[in-house]
Amino acid sequence: MKKSVVAILLIFALVLLSATFVFAEEAAEAGAKSSNVFYYALAAIAAGVGVGVGALGCGIGQGLGTARACEGIARNPGASGKITTSLIIGLAMIESLTIYALVVALILLFVDPFGAKLM
Amino acid sequence: MEGMHEVLLMDAIISPEVVPHFVSYGILSSVVLIAVAFAVRGSLNLVPKGFQNFIEVVVQAMLSLVEENIGHKWGKQLFPFICTIFMYILVSNLMGLIPGFTASTANVNTNAGMAIPVFIATHYYGIRVHGVKYINHFLGPIRSPAAIVLMLLMFVIELIGHIARPLTLTVRLFGNMVAKHILLLVLAILAPLLIPGLILALGLLVSVVQAFVFTLLSTLYLAGAVEEAH
Repeated sequence: MKKSVVAILLIFALVLLSATFVFAEEAAEAGAKSSNVFYYALAAIAAGVGVGVGALGCGIGQGLGTARACEGIARNPGASGKITTSLIIGLAMIESLTIYALVVALILLFVDPFGAKLM
Repeated sequence: MEGMHEVLLMDAIISPEVVPHFVSYGILSSVVLIAVAFAVRGSLNLVPKGFQNFIEVVVQAMLSLVEENIGHKWGKQLFPFICTIFMYILVSNLMGLIPGFTASTANVNTNAGMAIPVFIATHYYGIRVHGVKYINHFLGPIRSPAAIVLMLLMFVIELIGHIARPLTLTVRLFGNMVAKHILLLVLAILAPLLIPGLILALGLLVSVVQAFVFTLLSTLYLAGAVEEAH
C-alpha cells in the first residue's frame, strides 16, 4: 500500500484509541461509582480484540495443516484413514490455543477480577 | 451472570443450592456408565450383537491405543484408568447437547478433577518404573557432569512443560464445552431453528473429538513417563 494511505490509517487508529480516554473522562465526571466504567470499557475492547487475534493465528495454522493433509491424501489415497486421524488431532490441538484466548476473555468479562478493587 | 441459574432436569431431584449442577450431572454420568456396564455384563455373548458390539468397539479402540503407545506390561495396568476417562468425558459432553441437561465437563472443577490425577499418575508410575533414575527424564539429552548448565536449563524447561500439562488439559476441555454452550445460546436467540441445528452437529463432533484428545494426551504423557529416557 502507498505510504500516505498507511500514514492516514495509522493516525485514524490512534485517534480511535485515544477516543476511549476522552469519553472515559466525561463519564468519570458524571457519577461517583463510575471509576469502574473505564475498566469495563477497556475489558470489553480487550476481550473482543483478544479473541479476534487468537482466531487469526488459529485460522492460519489450521489452514496450513488442512492443506498439507489434502496434499498427503492426494499423493497416497490408501493412507487417507491415518492422515484424517492425524489431521483431526492436529486441528483440535491448534483450536485449543484459541480456546485459551476465549477463556481469558470470559474471565475478563464475567469473573471481573479487578472490579471489586476499583470500587 | 451472577443471579442466573438455569432450571434443569435434575432440579427435580436435588436442588442446585445444595449440590451444584456440575456435581449432580457428574453423578448422573457415572450412574449411566455403571448401569450400562451392568446391563452389558448381564448378558454376554461370545459373538457380540447389538449394544454389546458397540461397547466392544469402543473398548477395543481404547485398548489398541493404550497398548500401541505404552506397551503391553504397563498398558494392561493403565488401561482401565484411561478408558474410564474417555467414557466419562464422552458421556458428560454428549449430555450437554440435550436440552434440560448440562455437561459436567463445562465446569473447571470436573476437568481439573480428571487432569490432576493424570498428572499425579504420570509421576507415580514414572518413579515406580524407574526409581530415582526418573530424574533423567527431566535432564535432557546429554547427561554428564560436564554439561551441568545444560542439565539445569533442561530441568527448568521440562518443569514448566510438566506444570503446563494439567492446566492445558483442563482449560482445553472446559473452553470447548463452554464455547459450544454459549454459541448455542446466542444463536438460539438470534436465529432460531436452523442455525442451532448446525451448531448442534458441530457440537457433536467437538464433544467426541475433545474426549478423544484428552484421552490421547493422557496416554502420551503416561507413555512418556513409563518408557526409557532418550
